[in-house]
Amino acid sequence: MTGAARGRRIVLDAKEGAMADQADIEVKDAGLDETIQNLSPERIEAVIRQVLDTRTSARLKVYLETCVHCGLCSEACHHYLSRDKDPDFAPVAKVKNTLWEMVRRKGRVDREFLKNAARIAFIECGACRRCSMYCPFGIDIAHLIMMVRRICSLLGVVPQYLQDTTNSHAATLNQMWVQQDEWIDTLMWQEEEAAMEVPGTRIPLDKEGADIMYSVIAPEPKILAQLIGNMAQIMAVAGMDWTMPSTDGWDNSNMAMYSGDFEVMGRVERAHWDRAMQLRVKRIVMGECGHAFRGAVYDGPKWLGWQGTPIPMVHAVEFYYELIKSGRIRIKEKFKEPVTVQDPCNIVRGRGLHDKLRYVMNAMCEDFRDVEPRFEHNFCCGAGGGVINCGPPWKLARMKSTRVKAEQFAETGARTIVTPCHNCHSGIEDIIKHYKLGMHVSFISEILVQVMERPT
Amino acid sequence: MAVVTLGGKPIEIDEDGFIQDPGAWDEGVARDLARTEGVEEMGEDHWKLVNYLRDYYLKFGIAPMIRKLCKETGFPLKQIYELFPSGPAKGACKVAGLPKPTGCV
Repeated sequence: MTGAARGRRIVLDAKEGAMADQADIEVKDAGLDETIQNLSPERIEAVIRQVLDTRTSARLKVYLETCVHCGLCSEACHHYLSRDKDPDFAPVAKVKNTLWEMVRRKGRVDREFLKNAARIAFIECGACRRCSMYCPFGIDIAHLIMMVRRICSLLGVVPQYLQDTTNSHAATLNQMWVQQDEWIDTLMWQEEEAAMEVPGTRIPLDKEGADIMYSVIAPEPKILAQLIGNMAQIMAVAGMDWTMPSTDGWDNSNMAMYSGDFEVMGRVERAHWDRAMQLRVKRIVMGECGHAFRGAVYDGPKWLGWQGTPIPMVHAVEFYYELIKSGRIRIKEKFKEPVTVQDPCNIVRGRGLHDKLRYVMNAMCEDFRDVEPRFEHNFCCGAGGGVINCGPPWKLARMKSTRVKAEQFAETGARTIVTPCHNCHSGIEDIIKHYKLGMHVSFISEILVQVMERPT
Repeated sequence: MAVVTLGGKPIEIDEDGFIQDPGAWDEGVARDLARTEGVEEMGEDHWKLVNYLRDYYLKFGIAPMIRKLCKETGFPLKQIYELFPSGPAKGACKVAGLPKPTGCV
């Protein structure tokens, strides 16, 4: 039995009745409702056939023919568990109500079916891949859902907020419409801010041959610029040879990967790697973000037809681990408040960084309280996989599907939840507010700069 | 999407509490939105931030970079979080009547 199942069950006061209603299902989203109106039955059929007949080939056939509908994936899904085991939210049902029907009807599905499929694929599955671990055959169910998103994207049927982010990637190669002069100005500003904390700190721009190119996601310069300043301080204290690019390719995030626009996804990933290769750095270190790791290390290179990444890429968790373990960063006085942690799916299920994450947590914090279930069995934050990027219209759906997550956090009795991922961070902020947990969320760097030893 | 009373008039807000029509914004709306973000009293500094954000948004159709906000208002980043505990995007921008930003936020 999991900790969450053992723990107290959170019942929403005013919103309890809302669990049963359709308020989160019958949502209006111009990206779905208006775009669907432009589609003819022939167009829908042609696009579905194009994807099913050409791109998916053997993998799809094997998955479809292997699944025995045993339903073991159901209990793995936080949507299903949080919604009182509503069978509509079992992973197998999500595939049945989308891709299987498209295959069975040979693409002859109507607009209503398509809107329903889009809602399931973009909102009711975050591609966290927890279910695949419980499938006796290891079927990558999230891959099937991503195939539905690909079909939706080719048809132009994508939640409006998510599509806006993809449009920004297409136009600017970063996700928040940041212009180059704004980017450089922000780095210079954060260099000054960091130097006030650690004298002599620099953010070296375009330094060819540096050991490390550091890349971030666009919400950092746009809103959370202090995170860039934090890493500058850490790099300075650790004495690293590093650089940041002044031109496109600095944003490692990729929402096009989740909207199903793989052409834009590929352009973004190529730009990021191109920049690192032009700077002739030895490796890329990336900030605290989960999906960006997946895009840069797995989905991007695969789409581009590369065998792997041209040089190594290291997630912030692994980097902090390395700095603390090697003694380049020493902890002066541990963080005292009770702290727990979230395992971001793309770096834990996707990369196995859970032990290194625990090492960093224990090194920094006096009272670290682990979650249960944890590691690769941990529940998704409910925001990743592009779900939170679908914006406010779908927030209620997200909140309904994260009850088990809220219960799991409440069980720890911690006051701070650390998560090295932007999607987890924003999603958990929402969970805390919605379920009145009275906790707050922090990135690792925010604690690390407080507790690390600084040169005197 | 819900309709709530802000500044004494019915106003449509999204699930995150951001108003949908920037044209419906006035100081009374801002004061009521501020309360939802833990700001009981809008002081001179709050207004300076909010007015800057609103003017920028009406001119450019997007929220400014946090760098721009600090530079133009003269407030260090820390002070912005003191004024609006939920931060510049989810706090100050909401009070200024901007839509919720897109992206991983």
